[in-house]
Amino acid sequence: MKRLTTGLVTLALLSWAAGCQRGNQTSSDKPTVALVLKTLNNPFFIDMKKGAEDAATRLGATLIVQAAEREVDVDKQMQIIENLIQSKVSALCVTPSGSKEVVPAIVKANRAGIPVVIVDTRVDSQALKQAGGQVAGFIGSDNFEGGKLAGEFIVKRLGGKGKVAILEGIPGHETGDSRLKGFHSALEGHPDIQVVASQTANWERDQGYNVFQNILQSHPDVQALFACSDLMALGAVEAIASAKKTGTIVVVGFDAFSEAREAVQKGTMDATIAQSPYEMGSRAVENAYRLLKGEKVEEDISVKIQLVSR
Amino acid sequence: MRLKEYVLHHGRQFGTLFGLLLLSGILWALTPYFLTVSNLLNVAEQTAIVAIIAVGMTFVIITAGIDLSVGSVLAFSGIVMASALQAGAPLVLGLAAGLGAGLVCGLVNGLLITGGRLPPFIATLGMMSVARGAALMFTEGRPVSGFSESFRSIATGEVLGIPFPVIVMVAVYIAAHMVLTRTRLGRYAYAIGGNEEATLLSGVSVKTYKTAVYGLCGMLSGLAAIILTARLNSAQPIAGIMYELDAIAATVIGGTSLMGGEGNVFGTLIGALIMGVLRNGLNLLGISSFAQQIVIGSVIIIAVLFDMALKRGKR
Repeated sequence: MKRLTTGLVTLALLSWAAGCQRGNQTSSDKPTVALVLKTLNNPFFIDMKKGAEDAATRLGATLIVQAAEREVDVDKQMQIIENLIQSKVSALCVTPSGSKEVVPAIVKANRAGIPVVIVDTRVDSQALKQAGGQVAGFIGSDNFEGGKLAGEFIVKRLGGKGKVAILEGIPGHETGDSRLKGFHSALEGHPDIQVVASQTANWERDQGYNVFQNILQSHPDVQALFACSDLMALGAVEAIASAKKTGTIVVVGFDAFSEAREAVQKGTMDATIAQSPYEMGSRAVENAYRLLKGEKVEEDISVKIQLVSR
Repeated sequence: MRLKEYVLHHGRQFGTLFGLLLLSGILWALTPYFLTVSNLLNVAEQTAIVAIIAVGMTFVIITAGIDLSVGSVLAFSGIVMASALQAGAPLVLGLAAGLGAGLVCGLVNGLLITGGRLPPFIATLGMMSVARGAALMFTEGRPVSGFSESFRSIATGEVLGIPFPVIVMVAVYIAAHMVLTRTRLGRYAYAIGGNEEATLLSGVSVKTYKTAVYGLCGMLSGLAAIILTARLNSAQPIAGIMYELDAIAATVIGGTSLMGGEGNVFGTLIGALIMGVLRNGLNLLGISSFAQQIVIGSVIIIAVLFDMALKRGKR
C-alpha cells in the first residue's frame, strides 16, 4: 500500500516535471535538436539557450536543452549525451565541459549517426582524431583575440607600465587557456608591465572574491586585473570595494553579460569583452537544422567579439 | 510456505525492488526509448561508478560510520593511476597504484577514527579536503588525459554485449555480499554498528575491523576511479565532486540504516539503480535540469520517509 503511494507520488512528480516542458515532446516529422550546455546557472549559457530557442521556433524544429548541475561535471555531461542518443534526437549541439573528456561521447553519437555541432569550447582535435571521432562544425568566439583585446586595453590604461593580476578559469579549459594566451601575447613588447599574480578562481564568482582578496593582501599595489570571465571579475569587484580600492584598479572581465555591462557603466569595472552567446545558440541550431536537410555548413564559424568600455 | 517466509524476511528489499520496477513501468509508459536493451545497458553503465562507491559506503554505514571523502579519494586515486600510466608504468602496475592510493586514503581514515578517536564525519571531512587538494596540487589543476587502447577497453570493452563496467559492478556486488554474509569482517561490521561496546567486550578487535572497513571503502573508490578515467579517457582532479552524496543516497534508499547495524548491498544496488534510472528517464523525457534536481531530491526523501514508516509499523 505504502509502496503504491510512493509510486503515485513519483508519478505525480514526473508528470509535473514533464508539464514544465510546456509540451515540446517529439512530434512526428519535426526534427529534434538537442542543445547540451555546460550549465544553466550562468547568464552566458542562458543567453545561448534563448538564441537556440528562438532559432528553433523560427525553423519549426523541436529543441531539448539539457545541462549538468555543475559546469565542470564532465561525467554528468557524458551521461546526458548518452541518454539523448538513446532518445534518438536528430542532431546534437554541445558546449563541451572538457575539451578532451567530451570525445568519447562524440564518438558514441557518431556511431549512432547523429551529427554533432560543437559550440563555444573547442574539442581537442588530437584526442578527437585519435578516437576516430568527427564533429560537424564549430561555432564560437575567437577567445585568443578576446584575450588580446583585453591585454591591449590594460597596456593602454596603465601607460605601458604597472603591476597586473590575472584570475584564470579552470586550467585545461580551452576557452580560458586561449584567453590567457591572447592576454599574454598583448603584453609582449611591454617589459614594464609585470604580471604579479595569476591564479585560478574556477570560473566562479565567490572564488573570484576570495582569490582576489588574497592577491590584494600579498600585492596591495596591483594596478590592473584581467579576469577570464565576468563572474570572477564581479567577485573581484566586491573584494576591491571591501578593501576600499574601488576606482584605483583597472578591472577587465570577459563575456559582457548584462550585469557586467552595468558595472562598466557604473565604473566599478573598466571593460569587458563581448561575446555573443545568443548568436552562438541560434547559429548552432540553424546549422544543425541545415545539416539534417543535407545542406553543407561552414566548418568553423567565428562569432563576433569586441571590447565594451565606457 | 518457504517462499512466503523468505519474502517476509526480506520484505524491505522487495519493497525497494518494487519501487524500482514501478519507476521503470512509469517511464516505459511515458517514453518508448526507455525499455530498450541498449538503453538499459546504458543506465547500468552510467550507474556502475556510483554503485561501486556505494558498496564501500554501505559497509561503512553498517558500522554506524560515514565516509565523506569517497569523491575526493576517487579523484586522487585517478590522478595517481593516470600519472603512473603516463610515466610509462605497465597497465597492471598503474591499476595497482590507483587501487593502492584509494586503499591508503581509506586506511588513514580508519586509523584517524579508531586510533585518533575522531568522529567519522570529521576524519573523512578532513580527508575529503586533503585528497582533493593533493589531486589538484599534483596536477596543477589540469586533467591528465590520453591513455592506451588496452586501458581504455576497461570502459569501452564488452562481453556478449555487456559493457565491462557493468560486469565489474556485478562482480563487486556478489563479492561484497559474500564478504558481508560469510566472513568475519561482514559479521563484525554488523556487530560494531549494532553495539560497538558489546562487540568490544566480547573480545573482537573493533579497531582492526573498523579500519579494514574504511580501507575497503577507499579501495573501492580507487576501483571506481579506474572505470571513470577509462570512460572519459581523462583523469580529472575535480572528478567525483558530490559523489559522496549520491553514494549515501543509494545506500539509504537501499534500506541501510544510518544508525548502523543493518543493511545489505543488494538494497544499495537497487538504490543506485533507482537514481540512475530516474536521471536517465528525466533526460529521455527532455525535462529541464532544474526540475530534475527537485524530482531526484523528492524521491530520496519520499523513499526514506516510507521506509521509516514501514519500520515503525513493524515494531
